[in-house]
Amino acid sequence: MAIKQATVGLWFSVALVLTAAPSLAQTEEGKAAEGAAAEAPTPAEDTAPTGDATAVAGEEAGDADAGSLEELCRIDPENCVKVDMKAAADRVLAPDMYAVQQIWALRKGRFEINPYGSVTMNDQFVAHPGPGVGLNYYVLNWLAGGVNGNFYQELNAESDFNFETSRAARVGQPITEYQWNVNANVTLVPAYGKFAVLSNFIFHYDFYFLAGAGAMSTRPKAVVDPDNRTFDWSVKPTWGFGGGIRIFFTRYLSAMLEIRDYMFLEDLENPSIASGIDSRGLPLAQDPSTWLAPDKSFTNNVQAQLGLSVFLPFSWKYELAK
Amino acid sequence: MKNMTSRLALLAGLTAGTIVLASAPDASAQELQITGPLAGAPAVRRLRLHRDGRFDIAPHATFTLLDEFRRNVLFGARANYHFTDSLGAGLFGAGGISYNAGLADELQTKAVDGRDCADNPNTLACRRTAVSLCRGPNCLEESQLGSIVWMLAPQLTVVPFRGKFSFFGAFFMDADISLFLGPAVVGLNERAECTKGECADNFKLDSRVTGTATFGLGFNFYPTDYMSFGAEFRATPLSWNTSGFDIAGPESNFPDDAIDTNDRSFHFNPMLTVFASVQLPTAINLSD
Repeated sequence: MAIKQATVGLWFSVALVLTAAPSLAQTEEGKAAEGAAAEAPTPAEDTAPTGDATAVAGEEAGDADAGSLEELCRIDPENCVKVDMKAAADRVLAPDMYAVQQIWALRKGRFEINPYGSVTMNDQFVAHPGPGVGLNYYVLNWLAGGVNGNFYQELNAESDFNFETSRAARVGQPITEYQWNVNANVTLVPAYGKFAVLSNFIFHYDFYFLAGAGAMSTRPKAVVDPDNRTFDWSVKPTWGFGGGIRIFFTRYLSAMLEIRDYMFLEDLENPSIASGIDSRGLPLAQDPSTWLAPDKSFTNNVQAQLGLSVFLPFSWKYELAK
Repeated sequence: MKNMTSRLALLAGLTAGTIVLASAPDASAQELQITGPLAGAPAVRRLRLHRDGRFDIAPHATFTLLDEFRRNVLFGARANYHFTDSLGAGLFGAGGISYNAGLADELQTKAVDGRDCADNPNTLACRRTAVSLCRGPNCLEESQLGSIVWMLAPQLTVVPFRGKFSFFGAFFMDADISLFLGPAVVGLNERAECTKGECADNFKLDSRVTGTATFGLGFNFYPTDYMSFGAEFRATPLSWNTSGFDIAGPESNFPDDAIDTNDRSFHFNPMLTVFASVQLPTAINLSD
């Protein structure tokens, strides 16, 4: 008997659990909904007022039980709910909705650390690959200020094309080596979105553009008269712009690909070798003032930068639905 | 006593039930995640199927990138039929024009016009470049430098990435990223082959048709249900002689004073295509 009563008690509890589980889930959702409602911004003026929504809901309920509504209107005509269903259906609604809600790529108030590797995109004669790193701070979700730098020394590489062309046509193409550059940048993030991979896995991404200015250290490589000429590194002002895409793996880690154009006025080797001697009796070919071309060359160093972006702090808390 | 035992048993049962109940919230929440209404649901519902069962006809302009001597601009069309929203097949065709890159103009000015080898054939530079550089105004463009004339490529298109993007949160557009791959037939203009002893007097362009593969990546944006625009990055790797120079001989000997297949070098031939596209039929389907 005792076992039987214990079994009854257990079954009673199981029944409670079974009935409670949906209730608990509902409670949780309800709490979440209440929280969201509490935190939700005030509806826009053109958003449907709550009273109307209640009236419509009441009418729809009434449709389900028209006899009761008619009965209510007959008993209390003053409080009878009268809704023009067609007018209500044709009403223009403009609620605040966002196509991409709760985006992963929230940036405001966060730092971005961006290590990358770069390759030259537009120089067939010499490549300037190298590592680089960027640091940005986002004052707004779409606006950041920061710095970046590249290191090239010992990584400059002449191409086979340069060798073959010089040899076949007997021409010397002035080439330069890069040492480093640093830039201060302003970044704009106008576009963001999300992609589904074969309709299974969703990832977020954004597009960004940036402009900056800084300094770059370069030197010509002696090709025309390597017996006499050696060049030291010199620093030039640089400026430029670029754009890129970030694909977010987590809320703080993304892969990035950026195309960047660093522009500067470059000193090139003089294609002519000075003849004669100077006042000290030394060959003019050994006078460093004759080694550089008289005019500076406007240079675009376009490079692709592939790397990672790490956002700090790692997480944040949404305060609004958006 | 019996009642007491029964009550204790009932109390024990209720206590056990209460313990189960107390531990239930987490368990039930977890259960909802596993077997709830969203379990097994697709990541995207009511997706506009811009490609599924539709033709896609796209006039385009294609620009070769990283050109050494001649830049090519090809005009044509791409036509695809998509069996599903993520798989299609079609044809890419293009033909066009070419013009000198900066290096070609510089060579023409300094190495051809500046040396004037027609009147100074015995200078060291003219003797050493007799096989590799033509003589006369605009001769590089007219008789020596290679260019891509046309291209035809049946191709398979796979669309693994489908989504949308927003511009400042105010303007939204459907978008996808496609990958394509296929064989390609390419028509080239290339310096005509010649053998040792005759190349110095033999500067002329010859047509050549070669087979290769083509592949790439496309970004597609859909402002309406039946129109799109976008850009494709395409590579069409093949070996050809872009310069018309004698750069190598058998077993990499240089110079062999001949223009032949040894002077061809491998290029990926990267290209950028911009296009506007129409999807037919114009009506669009939605996914579940």
